[in-house]
Amino acid sequence: MIVTKKAISRRTVLRGMGTAVALPLLDAMIPALVAQVNTPAKAVRRLGVVYHPNGVIYENWLPKGAGRDFVLSRTLAPLEPFRNQLIVVTGLSSHQAEALGDGGGDHSRASGSYLTGVHVKKSDSVVENGMSMDQIAAKALEKETQLSSLQLTADDNSLVGSCDVGYSCAYSSTLSWRTPTLPLMAENNPRIVFERLFGSSDSTGAGVRASRLRQDRSILDSVTSRVKQLQQKLGPSDTTKLSDYLESLRDTERRIQKAEEQRTKEGPDVDRPSGVPDGFEPHVQLLYDLQVLAYQADLTRVITFMYGREQTGRPYPQIGIPEPHHPLTHHQNDAAKMEKCTKIQLYHVALFAAYLEKLRATPDGDGSLLDHVMLLYGGGISNSDRHTHGPLPTLLAGGGAGAFKGGRHVVYPDDTPLTNLQLTLLNRLGVPAERLGDSTGQFTELSEL
Amino acid sequence: MLQVRASLTAGLHQVLATIVKTEDIKAEGLGPARIPIWNREGDVNSAELAISSLLIDGPYNGRVPQNSPSRQRIFVCLPRAESRAQPASAREDTRRSSPELDATEGGCATKILSTLARRAYRRQVTSDDVQTLMGFFQRARANGDFDDGIRAALERLLTSPDFLFRIEADPNALPAGTAYRLSDVELASRLSFFLWSSIPDDELLDLAIRGRLRDAGLLDQQVRRMLAEPRARGALVDNFFGQWLQTRNVWRLTPDANTKFPWFDDNLRSAIVRETELFLDDQLRADRGIAELLTSDSTFLNEQLARHYGIAGVYGSHFRRVTLTDENRWGLLGKASVLAVTSYPTRTSPTIRGKWLLENILAAPVPPPPPNANTNLDESKIGKSTTVREMLEQHRANPVCASCHARMDPLGFSLENFDAVGQWRSMDGDSAINATGVLLDGTKVDGPAALRRALVAQKQQFVRTVTGKLLTYAIGRQMESADAPAIRGIVRAAAADDYRWSSTILAIVKSPPFQMRRSRS
Repeated sequence: MIVTKKAISRRTVLRGMGTAVALPLLDAMIPALVAQVNTPAKAVRRLGVVYHPNGVIYENWLPKGAGRDFVLSRTLAPLEPFRNQLIVVTGLSSHQAEALGDGGGDHSRASGSYLTGVHVKKSDSVVENGMSMDQIAAKALEKETQLSSLQLTADDNSLVGSCDVGYSCAYSSTLSWRTPTLPLMAENNPRIVFERLFGSSDSTGAGVRASRLRQDRSILDSVTSRVKQLQQKLGPSDTTKLSDYLESLRDTERRIQKAEEQRTKEGPDVDRPSGVPDGFEPHVQLLYDLQVLAYQADLTRVITFMYGREQTGRPYPQIGIPEPHHPLTHHQNDAAKMEKCTKIQLYHVALFAAYLEKLRATPDGDGSLLDHVMLLYGGGISNSDRHTHGPLPTLLAGGGAGAFKGGRHVVYPDDTPLTNLQLTLLNRLGVPAERLGDSTGQFTELSEL
Repeated sequence: MLQVRASLTAGLHQVLATIVKTEDIKAEGLGPARIPIWNREGDVNSAELAISSLLIDGPYNGRVPQNSPSRQRIFVCLPRAESRAQPASAREDTRRSSPELDATEGGCATKILSTLARRAYRRQVTSDDVQTLMGFFQRARANGDFDDGIRAALERLLTSPDFLFRIEADPNALPAGTAYRLSDVELASRLSFFLWSSIPDDELLDLAIRGRLRDAGLLDQQVRRMLAEPRARGALVDNFFGQWLQTRNVWRLTPDANTKFPWFDDNLRSAIVRETELFLDDQLRADRGIAELLTSDSTFLNEQLARHYGIAGVYGSHFRRVTLTDENRWGLLGKASVLAVTSYPTRTSPTIRGKWLLENILAAPVPPPPPNANTNLDESKIGKSTTVREMLEQHRANPVCASCHARMDPLGFSLENFDAVGQWRSMDGDSAINATGVLLDGTKVDGPAALRRALVAQKQQFVRTVTGKLLTYAIGRQMESADAPAIRGIVRAAAADDYRWSSTILAIVKSPPFQMRRSRS
């Protein structure tokens, strides 16, 4: 992605990502963007969730010591520079990801229930889950921004078909559930993400956009009334699908409304990425860059991102691991395999650290983006070899605009629900909630010293 | 990074990119776009040239074409002023498709939009439909030209639930649970989505709207006409067979290309998909009997796949028909696509293959593992002191596991001669392959050919399975026990014709589950 001034036509600088990603995207872009961002008077809190698949080697992940007096583990070492805005939270587990009578499918349940705390329905055609925590936040915050939320992945994103024993791909390919029956597809193509953020129209003229918006709105109104008409004619079992469609129409409506309010705002001088870059690392970096951009321009306040689907078999030859990931994680305590798993987890953490660095370098309000975000980094599987769902590897990064006091390792009793942490995040985000899935209460320790 | 700019006319064009061959070249071309890039992460720091992606963008200040295949289909009418405004050459072009000229723009727009709406909504259009669309036309026309008006109305049409959803609404005042016959118009949509995965064409819709679809002989004639179109085979191969056989998952496979199967590249991946597509297309085109899915000695190979199968004398990248002399390769059970989607990245799984056979060939699905069952096996010795077969003995040792695995594993063992990417083998590591298996009724079989013969000996069973799967696909709901008589009826009706595809499909179309619906609460 390249930043250009308007004088140069976007068309003349359209390039493939292969060569362009190497450029330091954000540094080049900040001067062009800053002027357009309405710097909020009050620091804005934002939520991000980063998910890594296939569990961890827990002993190499777990920090030594607790409270303020702790030493980051080998896997987490790249986060040392951010120690003051980091809380390691241990003792949490995801009980709803357990079999509970449903047999195999731990991977699908791990990601499926990660943000819902609900035991997902075992089916590869008719999906059923709970509303996910990021979507609860998105719904509450959506009046503030053009997009209520963003879902990203660096992997295959199909929501249909069977991905595990009897489980729909929806459970392993996304974390975000707008309704219990409406999973949101995570996007993997940076070009499409970009267009969602900044629009695909090549014309940035305010007049063209305004008439475009007027037309979008009238189409929406007309379609919405037709959906309602049809709903009256159909039985309750048929109306679920139409309701989900109505729900996505409402989301579009809100986006249009927001865009109308901001129609005098100029679009950013940023060029569209041309597609998915070759290779995992540039792909992940670009998706992280787009997240920084989305927060920075305040286009959304809620983002979920997956390094990969549960059970992904991605190899990592670039760090000397040519074997597919998932089979490796069934290491059966073979030291060489465990070492390779650790290296993959370390690699993911290092890429996350680079993202934190970009957030820290991006001014926002009276501080940096890193000061204001709340990032949950983790996965729904602990011991990958045995598919355990606790104690889960869980981190909180970012200052949350004063919501958290970092630099600590907070230890909860074993089997404390993961949803307690997420419920706490929601409330700290300014989204009052009393329950989330199987939560039993909120944490008070995270914001206290 | 290479950029090329070219001037092209509107319409369909084929664009090819290739690298002039040098010794540095990687394989022989670009993997199809369907291959997810995350599976392409290859060797690092490779000096080899390869095409990683091809992006087509534009038009750059292109003129809006006055004529193109898509415009011809939309603009079935042109207002007089519009036709005069066109250059002479374009007028000549449009005359070919001969759109009607209408004196008034409004009349012309109505004609265009009602034609499109009828097709998109798959029913007779109402005056409400037309009024809604005309409203969009008029508002946009007020600020732009005729095209802008049509475009706005089209956007409204394409976001309509009438287009996006297949709505079968119960007749008014019918008590819940009453069975009733679908209207002809609903039946037409069922037919076209079954056979074409798309909307009815004008001929089918005309008949339905006139209420004549069920007239004597007409339904047969329509089904045969639809099946004769190549797109019927394309849709059934991609959507029905791809889902039933799970061969769609080939695109998602990640065989261990780095240590175990270094030759498994994207070309081989596409080739094993292509083989299955061509094989199935041929079965449908020649209107074979269903059982030939298992017994056919005919397939389609290119050089790379022939080598993979150990077959000599096939050269070049194009696919051609090959008669298989080794009967182990006959039919679906010898196809690399089927064998690979039922394997792990590093090894075969007799359990998954057995489960696949039970669900898809024998219609005897197995329940999921019971709660709290430990589903992990000790795999550490595979390929060293233990074979997969010996490792799976752990299933038998535990009575809880054995209750199901005693059905799955022994079936799957009979395919052990095929490795995780569908190659023939007689050894696994240091151990000779033991491909003896046991069928549900206790019959012992040794190897893939013996398994196939045993399955064909119970041909009825297989035909019933396929019929049930096809009916499920045709009506989009799970089969229930109440559907069993209908399935038996379809099988009986097709029996006289040795269960040919056309007979089976016709019998499905005429069956009560396809023709009828039950009202909901």
